[in-house]
Amino acid sequence: MRYARILVEGRELDITIDAQDKITTQEGQSIDLPLDSDQITWLPPVKEPGTIFALGLNYADHATELNFAPPKEPLVFIKHANTLTGHKQTSYRPDNIEYQHYECELVAVIGKQGKNIKREDALDYVAGYTVCNDFAIRDYLENYYRPNLRVKSRDSLLPMGPWIVDVADVPNANNLRLTTTVNGKITQDGSTKDMIFDVPFLIEYLSKIMTLNPGDMIATGTPHGVADMQPGDTVVCSIESICDLETRIVSEQEYYGKNY
Amino acid sequence: MTATLLVNSKLVCVALNDKAQLKALDATFNQAPYNKPPTQPVLYYKPRNTWSVDTAEVEWAKDFDGKDVPTMVVGASLGVVIGKETCRVKPEEALSFVGGYTVVADYSLPEENYYRPDIKGKCLDTSAPVGPSLVAADKIAQPDALSVTIKVNGELKSTFDLSQMQRSVAELISIISNIMTLQAGEVIAVGFAGERVALAKGDKVEAAIAGIGTLNNTLGGI
Repeated sequence: MRYARILVEGRELDITIDAQDKITTQEGQSIDLPLDSDQITWLPPVKEPGTIFALGLNYADHATELNFAPPKEPLVFIKHANTLTGHKQTSYRPDNIEYQHYECELVAVIGKQGKNIKREDALDYVAGYTVCNDFAIRDYLENYYRPNLRVKSRDSLLPMGPWIVDVADVPNANNLRLTTTVNGKITQDGSTKDMIFDVPFLIEYLSKIMTLNPGDMIATGTPHGVADMQPGDTVVCSIESICDLETRIVSEQEYYGKNY
Repeated sequence: MTATLLVNSKLVCVALNDKAQLKALDATFNQAPYNKPPTQPVLYYKPRNTWSVDTAEVEWAKDFDGKDVPTMVVGASLGVVIGKETCRVKPEEALSFVGGYTVVADYSLPEENYYRPDIKGKCLDTSAPVGPSLVAADKIAQPDALSVTIKVNGELKSTFDLSQMQRSVAELISIISNIMTLQAGEVIAVGFAGERVALAKGDKVEAAIAGIGTLNNTLGGI
């Protein structure tokens, strides 16, 4: 089963999507629309987003691409709900920058509170998996709490979804093909098998430090193959058996409108 | 948790906002891995598992082997509580977006370096009491004229005049709101004395700002 949140005709709906792509609301009403319908606005799939943990340099080939040795301990940073947006929504490119890249990532959504969780029990605490695009603005990197909030905490720069797939429906999250296309051309092609620290490891690690809560998310990092994005580009981040997440890049002025 | 949390959805803290601390670390910050002093405010989050309240016990942290850590430290800051949606505001209008002021205490492991996000040090459960209450913004004409003190077991350990901050409250609201849109109830801890105060298990800590309030918390672990 898959879980999502959508807007249809102004109504915000918590839905399930079955294997035949049939949409049913939480109240049991069926919504007779195909998943690619223009009448659906996709919201970020976690209804009450908590702490978003994101991993840096968690694929050896990407670490090398950025001229870093692969880490011996997870490089974790935190994001909040202001960064979230849904499938087929827009993310913005800040004015006057040289390099903004996407990062296609597998996300584990926490479903149960826990602390000091053992690796072998970790998946009991996962509600499901989704996909995010953890954009970075490389121009803003500074060597203080790097990657700093100016790089990684901007509005709209963490599209997520369109849906969460039950953990039971993903027997092996450690062997999923992960691809990104920009304007239809493949620019990133990797596998979650190359992740350095996998989801069970990360849950054990983080829960030794702090309590994890339902609605927390762990974005597990991206492999080799990042590229610059420009307004007008469409980027699709896909993970096999999970979902395809589409985002259109707009200018800062277009995104902020009257607040620009 | 018996009292209502003051924080809604986000607690942003500003590190390295003490001019004297920046000066003292200047040589360090010109070496690897920093290579140059920060050009922007150095920000970190205290996530929701850290949020706590006045009078609550602060858990004594454990290391990865499950043993009590040898030392914890505390810093205290003015907490700026956002009053309404704050998106890309200018410094000269920034204070009009403040709903009120409070006190934030940041309990953590000692700050050993600033190069990578300090998840192990800063994200400990119950390590960010905020309170004791919210003082309306119109009662505080000049937030940058306030002074933050920390007493441990009744003894004064730290005094930080906010006039010694590298960036003012208004500048910080402006800069942060150009990174992220802030919502009502979100809190910015604008600056801590560079020298954090070392603590032992069972210590009673008073983090106080005259005119705002005193946050009383006790360390656990006994």
